[in-house]
Amino acid sequence: MDLNLDELKRAMEKEGYVSEDDLAVTVYLALTLKKPLLVEGAPGVGKTEIAKVLGRVFDTEVIRLQCYEGLDENKALYEWNYQRQLLKIQILKDSCPHEDIEKDLFDEEYLLERPLLKAIRSDRRVVLLIDEVDKVDEPFEAFLFELLSDFQVSIPELGTLEARQIPIVVLTSNGDRELSDGLKRRCVYLYIDYPDIDKEVRILQMKVPEAGERLNRQIAAAVNYIRSNLDLRKQPSIAESLDWARALVALHADVLTVENLTRTVNLLLKNRDDRLQVLDGGVLDEIMRHALGEKAGEKGHTHCHCHGNLPASSN
Amino acid sequence: MEPGETACVVTEAESAGLNTIEYNITRFVQILRRLGVRVSLAETVDAVSALAGIDLLDKSRVRAALKACLAKSRREAGIFDQAYGLFFTTPEEKARRRQQYREARAERDRLINTAERELMEVVEEWQRDLPEKIVLTEQQLETFSLMPESGKERMKEILDRMKSNPVNNPGELINRVLQSSLNYWRYYMMKNAAGGGKAGTLPEEGSTGDEEMDEVIRSVDAHFYHHPGDRILHRDMESLDDSDIPRMTSLISHMSSQLALGISRRYKRSAGTAAVDIRRTVRRNIRYGGVPIELRYRARRRKRPRFLLICDVSASMARHARFVLQFIYGLNSALGGLESFIFSEDLERTTEFFSKNRNFARSMTDMINGSRQWGKSTNLHESLKTFLRHYGDKLTPDTVVFIVSDARTVAPEAAAGLLRDIKLKCADIIWLNTLPRREWEQKAPVKLFCGLADMYECSTLSQLEKALRRHVFKYA
Ligand SMILES: Nc1ncnc2c1ncn2[C@@H]1O[C@H](COP(=O)(O)OP(=O)(O)O)[C@@H](O)[C@H]1O
Ligand SMILES: [Mg+2]
Repeated sequence: MDLNLDELKRAMEKEGYVSEDDLAVTVYLALTLKKPLLVEGAPGVGKTEIAKVLGRVFDTEVIRLQCYEGLDENKALYEWNYQRQLLKIQILKDSCPHEDIEKDLFDEEYLLERPLLKAIRSDRRVVLLIDEVDKVDEPFEAFLFELLSDFQVSIPELGTLEARQIPIVVLTSNGDRELSDGLKRRCVYLYIDYPDIDKEVRILQMKVPEAGERLNRQIAAAVNYIRSNLDLRKQPSIAESLDWARALVALHADVLTVENLTRTVNLLLKNRDDRLQVLDGGVLDEIMRHALGEKAGEKGHTHCHCHGNLPASSN
Repeated sequence: MEPGETACVVTEAESAGLNTIEYNITRFVQILRRLGVRVSLAETVDAVSALAGIDLLDKSRVRAALKACLAKSRREAGIFDQAYGLFFTTPEEKARRRQQYREARAERDRLINTAERELMEVVEEWQRDLPEKIVLTEQQLETFSLMPESGKERMKEILDRMKSNPVNNPGELINRVLQSSLNYWRYYMMKNAAGGGKAGTLPEEGSTGDEEMDEVIRSVDAHFYHHPGDRILHRDMESLDDSDIPRMTSLISHMSSQLALGISRRYKRSAGTAAVDIRRTVRRNIRYGGVPIELRYRARRRKRPRFLLICDVSASMARHARFVLQFIYGLNSALGGLESFIFSEDLERTTEFFSKNRNFARSMTDMINGSRQWGKSTNLHESLKTFLRHYGDKLTPDTVVFIVSDARTVAPEAAAGLLRDIKLKCADIIWLNTLPRREWEQKAPVKLFCGLADMYECSTLSQLEKALRRHVFKYA
């Protein structure tokens, strides 16, 4: 648990998460200040993965609360086990006065723990992932805020339950909605942008090494060009770059060509209009030019053999 | 403060131990607040404690640590980055920037004085027999000084020509012409500066009284809005470039459909019959051996309200109105049965243009062509009178009225009277004011209407979205 900043960064890398200094510092602060980490960014930039990696780094369980519109306390915190309660009533109804039954029924034994309660009642320090918190409505957000402020819950029939261990809390948001000031104030904040070419190459190398450094660099450069120059409905995320790399590997590609790009583009871009935009002749040429590196032109469009030393292409 | 004086204060502060990390962080937080980043005391404390675990000699880590505690959105992170670089820099660099600013300031004063002289020369004749002298603000004078020569000449010509027109109250007329054409030019120039990077020549007023901090605040103000993604969301809609319109349009359609989706889901859940509350039911029926004889229900949600929109489409609102209408049009599918009206000199009902399954661009064109209100001057009183006379029955105790307007109208008192009548007949009046909040203070009608309606600033798209989200969901 007592990692210093550099050790944390290395441990995250070892578990397969590429992080730059800013990211590592922020995660480190969340851990040392014992504050929730709020991660915002477009879909697929690696927000959820942070929580999973922290689970591996600290060798502990990741308890996930997936948020959605309409999520309520019964599904997030706890519910009574009605089936068991009803059975118990049936068994005891003739032998016990009902005041006594009532006392028995609302005992921890009949409590169904949902992710939030489970995380704070756990004996070990777990990672609590509250994923896509921007999907819940404001009253539930206010409830989360309170829970994250004092890490205790009050259950009318049982009284107040306090956390046995304060969990490592990671909240993620796609930024569909701005979160309340209160919640943001409680948290240490990280915004993850799309990666630059070098970071994306490192991620690709980590996750799809079989593609080889040269192809991975071409993929990263192409995706980078697409993200920064085309006005798409849905930008390709890291998840899509990875899928694309795997598809190219399946075609036994070792360099990017117009032909294999065209055959695999549906893995990179999920929207039809976006695909049409990319497959337009002029655009395709530009993408290839950036993917193969500016130098390709000088060398008369042959393959370039500079291993991973292409200039980070300009936008 | 004179340069010598500043130096003294700084030395004093340093010898008193004020040049500590805590001191600098506090000052930096003040700058962030001025720039619209909301930093609480607790967060400032967090920032100080954050540094405890960081190697203070590693500059980029120090920056990252402070950022994690002080900036809590993408926008704030952008502002943080800019301000940080400017504030935590070498004394030489700071001195250089200060000098530069002083020179720019002197130049600006010179230009303003010249502009004042030039303009007063033209209007002098009236000034003589006027009880009230024409007063122009520094901002207006600056605008004049920045206008191209041809523009200045034309303006002077027009003023000159008016001298030969006999009118009742030439002083008031000339004042109005002068003010409104200077305001027009200001917007025109801001608009063109938006893309070109010359926006820094028209700075915002407001100062902390601390030269070093003001310096940072000014520099960030000038640069921040050039971030292409944030510009459209956070810039006054009035000053957007024509080339921004396609992006703006697709952004609005995205934002409004997101919001509409949320609203529909919310309605769907709250509609229908009340749900049984199992916990309370079990408890209640223990006495019957758990057989659910008496059911307990969850509290029912409030009834769905009706929304009514009254949108100002006069000349000063033309650009805003288009965007606001598009946004609301996007929500219409979720709100259903939205009543809408446009007004300037008078009011017209536009509900049918917004019926479902109609193409927005078509509806908009039809509406502009079919209306006599587009681009006229504003008479809210006359408009509300028409509203109450012909459509007063549309107001019910569960109607929420949205008014979109910059509140620049003739006869504001009379209009306020009618607004009061409307308020008695509906649930709430929400006023979305397209005028930036900093200008409200100087405008008497704004203050008047503020007392009668909940007023929200909505000069930027981001503010519009927030205001609508807050209110539509509140009632949903
Ligand atoms: N920095 C990173 N290092 C390694 N893999 C990453 C990184 N960022 C993203 N990924 C990969 O990208 C994919 C999408 O990440 P995910 O965390 O699910 O995105 P998000 O939660 O932001 O939508 C995952 O397969 C993840 O492994
Ligand atoms: Mg995710």
